[in-house]
Amino acid sequence: MPEKIKIVVNEDRCYLCGGCAGVCPTLAIEVHSSGWEFIQDKCISCRICISACPVGALSEEPLEVKA
Amino acid sequence: MRYDVVVVGAGIAGPIVARNVAKAGYSVLMIDKKWAIGTPKQCAEGISIKVFEKYDIPYDKRFINREVYGAKLYSPSGYELELRYKEVSGVILERKVFDKMLAYYAAKAGADVLARTEALDVIRKDGKVVGIKAKHEDEPIEIYADVIVAADGVESTIARKAGINTYAPPHEFDSSYEYEMLIEGFDPDLIHLWFGNEIAPRGYVWVFPKDEDRANVGIGINADNPKTAKYYLDKWLKENKIPAKKLLEINVGLVPVGGFVKELVKDNVLVVGDAARQVNPMHGGGMAEAMEAGTIASKWIVKALEEENLSLLQNYTKEWWETDGKRLEKVLKVRKVTEKLTDEDLDLFIQVLSGADTEKIASGDYTEVIKALLKHPKVLLSPRRIKLLKELL
Ligand SMILES: Cc1cc2nc3c(=O)[nH]c(=O)nc-3n(C[C@H](O)[C@H](O)[C@H](O)COP(=O)(O)OP(=O)(O)OC[C@H]3O[C@@H](n4cnc5c(N)ncnc54)[C@H](O)[C@@H]3O)c2cc1C
Ligand code: SF4
Ligand code: SF4
Repeated sequence: MPEKIKIVVNEDRCYLCGGCAGVCPTLAIEVHSSGWEFIQDKCISCRICISACPVGALSEEPLEVKA
Repeated sequence: MRYDVVVVGAGIAGPIVARNVAKAGYSVLMIDKKWAIGTPKQCAEGISIKVFEKYDIPYDKRFINREVYGAKLYSPSGYELELRYKEVSGVILERKVFDKMLAYYAAKAGADVLARTEALDVIRKDGKVVGIKAKHEDEPIEIYADVIVAADGVESTIARKAGINTYAPPHEFDSSYEYEMLIEGFDPDLIHLWFGNEIAPRGYVWVFPKDEDRANVGIGINADNPKTAKYYLDKWLKENKIPAKKLLEINVGLVPVGGFVKELVKDNVLVVGDAARQVNPMHGGGMAEAMEAGTIASKWIVKALEEENLSLLQNYTKEWWETDGKRLEKVLKVRKVTEKLTDEDLDLFIQVLSGADTEKIASGDYTEVIKALLKHPKVLLSPRRIKLLKELL
């Protein structure tokens, strides 16, 4: 199985611009006026959001698989 | 609550639709998740002077920072091409005021407007979209409407939740970063653009003057680039020894530069502006395009409501693709050619053009420009350059 990842935001860098939500193919990111939200179930680990962010606020972490 | 039309997003496209539909006498609610419409800005604020008359927008000094007379282009090794008009060709807006005033014009025309109201999802009944589930501050609200307009910008979540495919691959977006800052040494009557694969891959660096010594200084690069837009802008400022010490704002955003949405309407849901990827793919300007799409969309919404026939909404897709869509497809073709240019190509082309008939270039007669380039010896000796240029004819 391909490795699944979790996307994490650096809130001190993020401008809530909505760009990552716009490029995400599966609506796995929502940007609210009050904060950035990641919806793990929808993420397909494509990493498009990470390179698109203009300030590099996003990174990946391996997703711990429950035993 | 119930309205004839609900508009999600109060940027540029949304208020144009809301204003036009309200003017025709229909009830409209426009919502935006921002708690102050227009703030923060995600824009370099440049727009053609023509839009004010064309879209019936007052030329109000409260949102016009500066009038400009043309553009200056810089090649990677520093060749320059100046396109200066005798008349004002464009303005640098204050979008925080502009967007809010557009919403004000919509409200004056009869629309209701709710800031800090975020659309969370669509409401479905018997498989049909009948409204928008939203949140005003922390209060959940349900807005029922005959027609739903998704004008929610680059995120484009509402159209997607309604089943309209607005997906575009990452290469069809620009990643942008900008400082509004104090800067000196650039003619404040022109906009300034720097090109180069090391300077701004696929895009450009811009200086859009808002004052003699204050400007939006920004960059756009391909969104699938492994480095960030911020990295490239800071590098450019450093290499050009421009002090970034007086920063008034930092602006961030993604711009669709291709991937125009094919089906702009699904039943009673329409998508307009950045949400429909209706942006000029060459320079990333999308305000005029959002106004145009909003104008076409509102025309068909009014017709559909008048004749009580929602299938007329489909004419928005048809008319947009036959007019602005067709134009933007051509611009996209140019973008795809220009992104193959090497730094040497850019140097050569800008060098040749600066000696050519700039009147013709300034008037937008590109065919003449390309023909002139094709006659240059350094072009004639390169089959690759000939091929690239011929793709543009
Ligand atoms: C850095 C940068 C520079 C640019 N420079 C220029 C320029 O110089 N000239 C030019 O013409 N264009 C420029 N553009 C592009 C231009 O900003 C857009 O094309 C234009 O704003 C599109 O208008 P719109 O109405 O479609 O979307 P927007 O103006 O983005 O408006 C969308 C609105 O929807 C709201 N919204 C989103 N989701 C929801 C939700 N779920 N619920 C409620 N509200 C929601 C947002 O808060 C926003 O107010 C630039 C873009 C960027 C990022
Ligand atoms: S693209 Fe970057 S800055 Fe913009 S909302 Fe996403 S994480 Fe934040
Ligand atoms: S990795 Fe891909 S699917 Fe997951 S949040 Fe980022 S863009 Fe969306």
